[in-house]
This record gives sequence, structure tokens and C-alpha cells, in this order.
Amino acid sequence: MPAEFTDRAALDRALDRALTASKADETEVLVAASDSSLTRFTHNFVHESVTERNAQMSVRAVLGKRIGVAGTNRLDDAGIAEAVNRAYEMAKLSTEDADFPGLPASKDEVVETPGSFDPATAAATPEMRAAAVADIAKVMRVNDLYAAGYVSTQADAFAIANSKGVRRYHQGTDSAINIKAIGSDSSGYAEGFSKRFSDLEPVALAERAAKKAVTGKNPRALEPGKYTVILEAPAFREFLGYLSWIGFGAQPFEEGSSFMSGHIGEKIVGENVTLRDDYAHPLGAGIPFDFEGVPRQHVSLIERGVAASVVYDSYYAAKLRHGNTGHALPAPNSEGPLPLNVVVDPGSTPLEEMIKDVQHGVLVTRTWYIRLVDQKQTIITGMTRDGLFLIERGRVTKGLKNMRFNESIIGALGRCDLASALVRSENHVLPAVRIEGFTFSSGTDFA
Amino acid sequence: MQFESEAQRVLDTAAKAGAQYADVRFGETRDEHIEVRNGVVSSLSDGTSAGFSVRALVNGAWGFASSAQITDSELDRVAALAVQIAKASAKARGHGISLVAAPPAVASYATPFEVDPATVPLGDRVNHLLAVEKEVRAAKGVTVARAWMDIWRTNKYFANSEGSKIDQRLLQCGSALHALAVGERDVQDRCFPGTGGLYQTGGYEIIRKANLLDNARRIGEEAVALIDAEQCPSGTMDIVLSGDQVSLQIHESIGHALELDRVLGWEANFSGTSFATLDKLGTFRYGSEQVNVVIDMTCPLALATHGYDDEGVKATPVDLIRDGILVGYMAGRDTADTAKVGLSGCVRAEYWGRLPMIRIGNVNLEAGNVPAEHLFDDIKQGVYMESNRSWSIDDKRLNFQFGCQLGYEIKDGKKGRMLKNPTYAGMTPAFWRSCDAIGDANSWVAWGTPNCGKGEPLQTARSCQGASPSRFRDVSVGVAYAG
Repeated sequence: MPAEFTDRAALDRALDRALTASKADETEVLVAASDSSLTRFTHNFVHESVTERNAQMSVRAVLGKRIGVAGTNRLDDAGIAEAVNRAYEMAKLSTEDADFPGLPASKDEVVETPGSFDPATAAATPEMRAAAVADIAKVMRVNDLYAAGYVSTQADAFAIANSKGVRRYHQGTDSAINIKAIGSDSSGYAEGFSKRFSDLEPVALAERAAKKAVTGKNPRALEPGKYTVILEAPAFREFLGYLSWIGFGAQPFEEGSSFMSGHIGEKIVGENVTLRDDYAHPLGAGIPFDFEGVPRQHVSLIERGVAASVVYDSYYAAKLRHGNTGHALPAPNSEGPLPLNVVVDPGSTPLEEMIKDVQHGVLVTRTWYIRLVDQKQTIITGMTRDGLFLIERGRVTKGLKNMRFNESIIGALGRCDLASALVRSENHVLPAVRIEGFTFSSGTDFA
Repeated sequence: MQFESEAQRVLDTAAKAGAQYADVRFGETRDEHIEVRNGVVSSLSDGTSAGFSVRALVNGAWGFASSAQITDSELDRVAALAVQIAKASAKARGHGISLVAAPPAVASYATPFEVDPATVPLGDRVNHLLAVEKEVRAAKGVTVARAWMDIWRTNKYFANSEGSKIDQRLLQCGSALHALAVGERDVQDRCFPGTGGLYQTGGYEIIRKANLLDNARRIGEEAVALIDAEQCPSGTMDIVLSGDQVSLQIHESIGHALELDRVLGWEANFSGTSFATLDKLGTFRYGSEQVNVVIDMTCPLALATHGYDDEGVKATPVDLIRDGILVGYMAGRDTADTAKVGLSGCVRAEYWGRLPMIRIGNVNLEAGNVPAEHLFDDIKQGVYMESNRSWSIDDKRLNFQFGCQLGYEIKDGKKGRMLKNPTYAGMTPAFWRSCDAIGDANSWVAWGTPNCGKGEPLQTARSCQGASPSRFRDVSVGVAYAG
């Protein structure tokens, strides 16, 4: 990636041009620049390989308590001026929002996470990604399997400024490997994420995915019912992603539709469960400020089983008379503030020990197509995929055909045990989890 | 045509670098969104994006690159990069990709419309939504009322190394209202029209015909009434689904299942594969004899309608299911040969910067012959379900479970009491084989889905599944709440 594309000085110039051009009472400008590449494979060969370079500017114009937002990726003088004017014209036609407190004026220092930007990852080539695919394919062939997945690398820069003096800049890299190992009647999955591409180990990940596919051969069907299950991190992450969306933001909290509404300070899950939002976790790839430029705070969402707090942006902080935790999404935003870097405190039991302690249960590698069934009860439904296993007398004994589950997330967190090792899965940092009485409602005839 | 010389420069550069085939797309999108929430304009946004992308085929492998900067040096860089990526991909390639023939086209297409949205003052559009939202909130007990509209314009120019030069101007519009009611232990919501609004190709007339204002109060009252409604029972029974719910059922259990890239395993690690494997083509009973499904990218009003797709293939209707038998797939130039099926023009990218891929286009269930008001007639005990609330299906598109916003008991052919939290579940072929009545053309609507996700990097596509209300026998109902 060329330096000028995400260079702080270049983005600052774009921000300044927009702020200078604006006639609004208050103006906020955000630029997100990205150079991202992804090499995708199936049947052990590359079938798609892409790279995209783009920089998008968003302008929020404020007239009194009226707001308009315009976006453009044309960052020359004329393009910026046109976007600024459109935002202004829209603000004139909007209605007043009595609860709008004005743009934040926070000048608090942001604390960058060391190692956010890795030049080698930013410079990764299609040849390097293809080489990783070749390594993965080699492992698959040895095991009489084939793989589907991707290898990705990207570099991003975010710059935000507003007319009240807020000015932020962050540059980061990220990379990922995703592998589904596929056999004649089974599959297995492994994933890795890191800000440094060199940290990812394609062969080790391929071996993990392949081992699952081999172990899962000749899968048997499981009767629907309640089981002790162990959700590995990729499966658990999908549960927590839903929890954040439906309940950890100030908007559903205020509406009363969140499971947190009216329960702050009350025990809602097991005492062993602590969930935080922490952009600075060393395994994560968080940004130290939100999309209004406010420094992100570490927020305890659930503390030892007790509902502790939801997250806030400037709008809901003012409306609900709470401190701003720095969790705004880009304007305009119909979801309200959300935690984007959820970290689950680990338990004390290694995953292997956890499995040894299960007499009759199920190990879930990954889930798929989870959807909300009941918001207040936090009931979700979804499918298992890519590695469902029977645990008998402390050992993973055989593969199972995939199952559908219907389960309350909060209910499940009330009867769980957390493993000791933390891993990153997408934007979460979390361990595996053991859940008692987990409901499988139907099955399939494939693994 | 705008960009003709730039396109030629890209194609020349790619050929010089070693591409055996190349195409280039220049695109410009403009997305306007207005949303009103509890009396306040919560979103008034207008975004534009422009750029170009290059797809190059070298030794049977694809490379793709895109950029927002349209300068000579960037045209050259991106064209060369696409070829470099293709060459890297070729080092880990399989059998090699080849393209089926598609006649080169020099053509233009524009979405037909009656009312240019630009002629409707922005203030009038805002006031319309404020009036609608106010009417939703007039229903006592509504916690959150919302109304919104979208206007999407896409201009694009496609050219390839085989001589195609295609200029298109697409216009898509949609609007909706939503009511949320929060009870002590329950949250209920209703949306109108359908699950997420009425989204179609055309002008502002699409927003006007949604008729939000006349339905706003009723929808708000239904959301509130659901809080105290009885829970939908569990068991095996007959169901009638509203047309918009049938639309989603088509999308999930027919549309995605018949994308040929999924069938071939190209989406295996993410969106998944398909139970509808190639060996089933021409013989597999997908549904009852009433079930006829066609992909028709020429369908008037349908949200995915265009002249040509993003690899220059002309929109052409192709049968997918005829008299209940699987007879076709949605295919692209690099996959069609494996199944010996025709091209429908369904390969699309979310925007100028993304790789085109097979997407559900307009996958329509042909209207049946039963007037919608007679679908309940011979049901002794069943449930009518309307508008989706929850949808989940496995990665082969077999095991599904859907929940709807609103239910009504059907008893002895008549609509009975309101039911909340209706859900139903099943296996795709068994479910479609149980379909014994499909509403007639009077109840058929080209329902648009503006947010279908697929691919890595993830791309959102706009699709349509035209449908009528339909009846299904002996369906598993209520399992979501049985645990």
C-alpha cells in the first residue's frame, strides 16, 4: 500500500478542506481508507483473488439540532465541496432533535494499542497469499481431503475531525486465514486472525481443520434433546455477537427491549461470567476511538454475573445522563452505540480438561445462520457446521450429523463453565465454553 | 459512451500484461436514505461512490483488482495488478477456468420509471415519512415507530476483451414502516409492506404505491395487540403463508440452493453448498406439481431487473423448477458449462469495487390459480403466518426454521384469533412438496430483498422473489418455543 493513500498528512488535508468548506454550525468529517486483499480457495485451488483500494469520506453537518449526512469517495476539492454542500442542504430540511447534544468536544488523549500497524502485512502480495493456499492444500492432500477458505490481508486508516477541535487518526493492519477441510462425509474448521500476517500459521491451522474432518468420518445422527455442549470459540463468538446487538447498546436499553433494561446491578448470568468491551486487548485489533472521535473506554458489560453497564455514544450519554463510553457508530446510525471489541474473561479449566469432564455431550466447532427468535428471552436458533462431535466418558469419540439448536443466550450463560485459553475470533476475544442443558431441536442427514 | 477510452486503455494494458480475457467495469452509485424515528428525522443521508474494477483471466485463473481513482496511471496499475493476481492464482489452480460463449453486446439499458425521484422535493419526502411515522405512533402502546425510504441509482459501463460495450442506468426505490411494542416479558414488532418494505425497480411511484399512510395505524395496533395475544401452538398442522413470507422461503430454500457456484463448492467455507447437486438436474422432485420457479432478470418492477449482468450477459428468463422438477440453475460464464445450463444474466457485484458473482436475481414463483381469499377454505386446524421475523437455514439449504411477526389461527376454513411468535420448520424438498395451493395473479407481488449477503469479502445484493400467498400441508409449527 502506498504511504500517501493512508498518510496522516494527506487525510488531515482532506479533513481540513471539508471543515473549511462547511457553512454548518457544527461539522464532523470522517475518512476511512482501506487497501484490502483476499485470496479465496476451494477444491484446494484459488478460484477468486481480489484487491480493492478505496477511501470514503462522510460529512455530518449540524444546523442547531438538525443533521444531514453526505458521503463521497471523490476526495478532490470539488468532490469534498459537493459532499459538504449536500450534507448542509439536507440538514436544512431535517427536523430538530431536541435530544441532540451537539458534536462531542472531547480532547482526551487516546491510547493507541502497540503494534496496530504492521508494514509487512500492509505490503503482503498475492503471491504470499497464494503460497499460503498451496501450503494448506498440501496438508489436505495428505489427508485425502480438500479445503475451502480464504487468506486475507488489509491495511486501514481512519481519520476524524470536527469543528469543535476533535482530531483523530489511526492506522492498522489485519489478516486472517479461514479453512474448511472437506471429506466425503465430514468437514472440519479452523481460523486464525492477527494484525501481523507473519503470525498466522497456515500449516498448523490446516492440520487442525484436517484433524477434525478425519475424526468426523462416518458421522452418526444424534437424537434432538438437551445435552451438555462445549462451544469452541468460533461458535461461542456468534452467540455473543447477537447478545451485543440486542442488549449491550444504550438504544435497546432505553427502549426496554434489552435483557439489560431494568436489571443493572442484578445477577443475570452465572458468577463466573465477566464480559467487557476492550479495544486494547493485545489479541484484538480495536481502534482507540469511536466514530465521533471519542476515546473508547473499557466497559464492564457483565461483571461476575451481574448486569453492569451498556455502552454509550454522545447522543445517548446526554439523553440518559450517563458518561460517554466512546462507542458511537458512523452517523447516521439506526442501531445506536454498540460494543465492537467484546472480551470474555477466561475460566480456569483447559479445554482438554473440560472435555475430559464430560460424560455424555457434544463438541461444537462452528455455528451457522444464527437468527434471533425472541429478543427479550434472548432465544436464538441456528445450525452447527464443520465439526460436530460426540463426547463420551471424557473423550471425543465420533462425528455427528449437524443439528439445529434453539437456545436462550442469557439462559445458557447461567449454566456455563469457561475454558482457560483466550483466542481471537473475528472481533471477539474469548475462550471455549461448556453449557449444560443445551437444546438441539432437530437434525440433518449430513455433517 | 462515457469511459469508452479509459476502458480500452485498461483492456489493452491487461492484454499486454498477459491476460487471455479481461473485462472492466466503471461504476457510480448514489444512495439516498431517509428515516424517521419517534418524531425525529434520525437519518438523512446521501452517499456517492465511484470507481472501476478489472477482472483478468490468465492460464485458467482469475485475478481481480479495483480502485476509486480514475487516472491514467491508476488504470494502468490496476489492470496490471489484476493480471499479476491471476498469475499468482494460477500457481495454485485446479482444472482451470474457461468461459462459455456469450455474444458480445454493444448496448444501453435504463430502468423504466414514471416519476423521477429527483423531481420530488426532499422536504416533501421527509414530510411524507413524518406523517406516516406519526400515524404509527398514534397507536397507543407503540414504543418505537419508524418509517424510511431508499432511493438507489447505479450507473455503470462494462467492456470486455471480446468487444462488449454496455452502458446501464438502474433506479431502485423502496419504503417501509415499522412498529415496536415492548411488554413486560415480550417484544413484538410489525413491519409494512411485507417483511422489510416494498423495494422494486422504478421511480418514486414505487414509494407512493406502498401506501404507508393508510396502513400505519393498523400496523401499530397489531404490534401492540401481539403483546397480549396467545402463543402460537406447537404441533403438525397446515399453514398458509403471506406472499412476502413465501418470498423469503423462496430466497432461502430455492434461490440460494440453485446458485451454481454453491453447488460446485465455491462458497463451501462461508455461505455453504447445496443439497441440489448436479445429479438431481432434470429428475429431482423439488416441490409439488404446482411449484414453478423461473429466474427472470427482465421481470418488470422486480428489484434485480437490468439489461445485462456484470459480465456482459443479456438478461434472459431461465426455468429453475418446472412442474415441481429441478430443471435449472443460476450460472455464470465460468460455471455454466459444468451443468450445461443457460445463462440468465445473474452475475452481479455489489458495486464497482467488488468481484461479480452468481447472485439470486429475480427468482419468481409463478402465480397459481387459487384466489387468496380461498386458501383457508378446507383447513380444519392451522395457522396463517405473515411477514418474517426470524430466518435460519443450514449450509446445504435443507433444514430451516422461520418465525413470523403475526399469526392467526385457522379453524374450519375461517380466520380465528391472533397468535404471537408463530414459527415453522422443515426440510426444503418435503416442504415444497407439501405446497398444494398458490395464490393467483391478483395476489402476486414482486417482493424485493435489499440485503442478501454472500461471498468473501462479503457482498450485499438486491434480489426479488415474486410470490403469492400459499398453502402448505402438515408442517411442524412452534418448535422454536418448544425447548
